[in-house]
Amino acid sequence: MTAAESYLQAIRVLPPRLRREALSLPEGDRGKVEEVRLRTGWPMTVLLEGGERPLGGPPVEEEELERLVEIASGASLHTVLDQVRQGYLTVEGGHRIGLCGAAALREGEIHALRFFSSANLRIARQVKGAAAPVLDRLCPGGRLGDTLILAPPGLGKTTLLRDLVRSVSEGERCLPLRVSLADERGEVAALYNGRPQLEVGRRTDVVEGCPKAQGLMLLLRGMNPQVLAADEITAGPDVEALTTAVGCGVTLLATAHGESREDLLRRAVYRPLMEEGLFRFLVRIRREGEGRAYLVEELR
Amino acid sequence: MMLRMTGAVLVAAGAAWLGFQAAAGLRSRTRAIRDMAGGLAVLERELELNAPPLSRLLAQGAARSQGIAGALFHACAQGLDNLAQESFADLWRRLTGRLFQLGREGQAVVAPLGDTLGRYDGERQREALAAARRRLEELAAQTEEDSRRMGRVYQALGLSGGAFLVILLL
Repeated sequence: MTAAESYLQAIRVLPPRLRREALSLPEGDRGKVEEVRLRTGWPMTVLLEGGERPLGGPPVEEEELERLVEIASGASLHTVLDQVRQGYLTVEGGHRIGLCGAAALREGEIHALRFFSSANLRIARQVKGAAAPVLDRLCPGGRLGDTLILAPPGLGKTTLLRDLVRSVSEGERCLPLRVSLADERGEVAALYNGRPQLEVGRRTDVVEGCPKAQGLMLLLRGMNPQVLAADEITAGPDVEALTTAVGCGVTLLATAHGESREDLLRRAVYRPLMEEGLFRFLVRIRREGEGRAYLVEELR
Repeated sequence: MMLRMTGAVLVAAGAAWLGFQAAAGLRSRTRAIRDMAGGLAVLERELELNAPPLSRLLAQGAARSQGIAGALFHACAQGLDNLAQESFADLWRRLTGRLFQLGREGQAVVAPLGDTLGRYDGERQREALAAARRRLEELAAQTEEDSRRMGRVYQALGLSGGAFLVILLL
């Protein structure tokens, strides 16, 4: 699917008036849109490389945001309420709608979002082949080694992780392995009706919407993985689950926020990863002109 | 004379038929309300057990419900394909507006469900379905009583009206 086709697929969830406006965007720009932003009381905008551009229509109404959620959920809010409580909604194609509004609390937890004030439709794009520059380094002897991808937000950690999962699962330039993916926020595989909307390979099993540590243990117990993958290690229990997995002889593939090896040693949550020597490879991502450069370090 | 007799019999039969039709109308309203209450109970159970997406819930409801409830759920499930053009609340209200068999009171109980189904958590939807079902069951009991009482009145009125006309005409 081309980037312009992804845009057309994503805007199908917009209510009729907003969809017509989104279609008024010149064809040449459609493939460059990263997000479609809707804010109550303001005209709809699209986020392109150069920033936000208003589409020029009348302001977005609150009812239109409600209709957006209704269309996106197939008029079945009860089936996506867990996602909505976390402020997003995944739709067909893996596109994701970020939602803001008044939170209704129950026992201190967000029970629902009401009176939607803004929505952000993020266009999903898969960069197939993103892992190609690092595959040979990460698969010495043809088999993937334990790998941690490290980068600040917005540099493509998830994109690289997804393509590594796909490549290993498909056996592209390496030994094909069974991959189990703990996709807590649904950003890697983007399950929709139980089907990954982004390609993660034929030997990949995905658990979504479940806290990472629990998801990792569930996969480890039930799916007999050869590779265990998780996006954004952020808490102690995630690290403990990874440590357990290594003890079971499973190869690890994960991402973390940070810029350097020193960041990992500085932050208490990541320190055990380094001290226990869980990972053999560290991949850092750096912006280079319009693209990305990957720096692979061997940790052990 | 033969012609007058035939005419008189036809008039009497026609009047009696009108009376019986009115009584049958009351009975069919009771049946329609009971069918709808049964259909809502099916949706309620399915929501509790499986909480499927609304399109599947309605399709399952259509398959397991009788009469107008099955027809309504089937039409709504199909209408969901056009969700981008018509909201579910509008679709439901439009289709329930056609269910004259329920009577105004019955329609007034069922129509607002479109504002709740698919828009809230499962528990709240089940509560709304249960409340509507209970109200329909009460309405059905009331209509049944009316049907028993008024049905006989309509039948008697039809027969006696027919006889009166025959006497007048002859």
